[in-house]
Amino acid sequence: MAIARITHLSYWYPGSTNPALTNVTKEFEDGLTVITGPSGGGKSTLLRVLNGLVPHFHGGRIAGSIEVQGMDVIKTPTRRLARTVGFVFQDPELQTVYDVVDREVAFGLENIAMPRPEMVGRVEEALHAAGISHLAGRRVRTLSGGERQRVALASALAMRPRLVVLDEPTSQLDPEGAAMVLDATVRLVQQGRAVVIAEHRLERLLPEAAALVTVDNGRVTTGPPTPPTHHASARPTPSHPGPVAWSLTGVTAGFGSHLVLDHVDGAGHEGEVVALCGPNGGGKTTLLRLIAGALAPFSGKVERRPGRIAYLPQSPTALLHRPTLRAEIAMTLERAGESDAPEVILKQLGLEHVAGRYPRDLSTGERQRAALAAVLPGRPALVLLDEPTRGMDDASRDALMRLITDLKQSGSAIVLATHDAELRTALADRVLKVSGGTVTT
Amino acid sequence: MNARSVAAWSAACLFIVLFTTNPAYKVLVLAAAIASLAAGAGLHRMRGLFTAIVLIAAFATALNFVSAHLGTTTLFQLPDQIPALGGPYTLEALAAGVNGGITVAAAIAAAAPFSLMLASHDVMDALPSALSRTGAAIAASLNLVPSVASSFVQVSEAQRLRRWRPRGPRSWAEVVVPVVLTSVEGSIQLAESMEARGFGSGPRTSLRATQMRNTDWILVATSSAAVIAFIAARAADWYPYPTLHAPAITIAPLAACLLLFTPVLTWRSRA
Repeated sequence: MAIARITHLSYWYPGSTNPALTNVTKEFEDGLTVITGPSGGGKSTLLRVLNGLVPHFHGGRIAGSIEVQGMDVIKTPTRRLARTVGFVFQDPELQTVYDVVDREVAFGLENIAMPRPEMVGRVEEALHAAGISHLAGRRVRTLSGGERQRVALASALAMRPRLVVLDEPTSQLDPEGAAMVLDATVRLVQQGRAVVIAEHRLERLLPEAAALVTVDNGRVTTGPPTPPTHHASARPTPSHPGPVAWSLTGVTAGFGSHLVLDHVDGAGHEGEVVALCGPNGGGKTTLLRLIAGALAPFSGKVERRPGRIAYLPQSPTALLHRPTLRAEIAMTLERAGESDAPEVILKQLGLEHVAGRYPRDLSTGERQRAALAAVLPGRPALVLLDEPTRGMDDASRDALMRLITDLKQSGSAIVLATHDAELRTALADRVLKVSGGTVTT
Repeated sequence: MNARSVAAWSAACLFIVLFTTNPAYKVLVLAAAIASLAAGAGLHRMRGLFTAIVLIAAFATALNFVSAHLGTTTLFQLPDQIPALGGPYTLEALAAGVNGGITVAAAIAAAAPFSLMLASHDVMDALPSALSRTGAAIAASLNLVPSVASSFVQVSEAQRLRRWRPRGPRSWAEVVVPVVLTSVEGSIQLAESMEARGFGSGPRTSLRATQMRNTDWILVATSSAAVIAFIAARAADWYPYPTLHAPAITIAPLAACLLLFTPVLTWRSRA
């Protein structure tokens, strides 16, 4: 029997004339349902329909019907559906209410006024189901991204929902954190729960999936789960590095009294891609900020050739503030004194169709590309990108790889801090491991 | 420690320091607050607070010294033609300023245990059930504060690298607007997450019971006694104008203030 049934559902966000979902009819059964599709295609909207955040929280116009466990979602407030549908969001940092793990897991139970003795048992059960019993009592801010996302999963499980929905839960995580979350998700399915997950990392999930749903341009198609197609492992285009573009000599850096990098040396050349890898907190971002000149070293020397720096920070979407994406790109070009048209980079990153839209109205994946478009147009001398493929679908990733290759061939010196092994293999002329305050090749 | 007993102690300190004009008792309250914080939070965690208290108290002192040209003991004089600043600078105005500075410092120190020694959920659990939902919303919003700070650093760095330069207040819009928008979006996502977990369903319960231990009851009792005794003792007021004189000190209000030192005996730093 279907746990959720969507019938001829169409949905328009407030003020929008284009539907985010168009005439969707779909049944969700027990087991694992994997949702895929391009960024901005409607995956998050479809998931939010399942617990009523669309339309109750977001407003807008809705047509058709949706039932979850016999409840009419359009007539039932999300807060009541919370007992039936558990929801885990993309960003682990923006779904935490309390500062201690077990309190956070109990938040939903407190909201439904569960008696304390029963609540204690439920919290233990949820922590166990998410594989984080050892984190009980820990301060949330001391946890890694993967641990925090599993706390969010436990918070959803504590309500003993019939259906667990996860919206790209690994998009903000490094590979280790993502593996933790996906393993926990697979365990839930093996325990007999119904799980719907939107995710780009399909390798771990597809062997367990009962159904694969593709959402593209607001339309839903269903097919049997098939193994993901592996891209031919591209190799970097041969490079003929030019003169040194940036160098670090005996650099020590950190924050306050906290030392992050200790006597580090390194250099990069024009027309060369250097990739930085290493664990979270190892110093990759600090190294990028040093090269950019955004952070002054405690000691040592940082040198870079004059020229424009294109820097993508860890939270790239925070940059975006102009009324349209085109205006955002035009601002960068104008300040750089370059005459390129914004359309060039819009086309390279596949963003022409959203050029006139407010960047913050875009989907998460589109925003990431929008931020890249905002910093990369024209001919930057030095390109510094911090986790540029985070949350990107395959097509967007391919477009970014082509753009970086073009920049490299036009002589830009490029440094990528990335956990994305495929990106490193495809683009990097050299890989530097940044860990424990040191940089090694 | 229990947030309710801490609240009782803070309220007693605030009451006395705001009730009296006598600097002797205000100094005692300030000393009790600092000593209690040192016992409960540890000296190393007080550094930032202590610096802030000194700066704010100094500002309050300077403000009165500069603006109140009253009193008979003139220390120096600026020409009357200088707007706002001109006139005699008196010892009495300085003394009144110091008294005001002590008041502000004591009030901040008395409220500091809520941020230095208690977690947001401790405070929330201590709220009456009618305020439980408001408390949850406040606790959630406090969790957003660190992300706003890091967002400001990231945006200002990234905009500088896009060749933004601060040129007057309007130019800061390019940093402030993205930070504000990011904070608002963060708040909306948090609200969405709270809604998805049943927030607003009705009356709430709490995972942890709010238990008052003996030391908490002792603190509530001594704090209440301090307030009652201070009111009953009718501590003499102090007014530095027109001529500065020493404040009158009597045993009963002094003893009432000394009761505020109770946390020094009952609070222990976890550091």
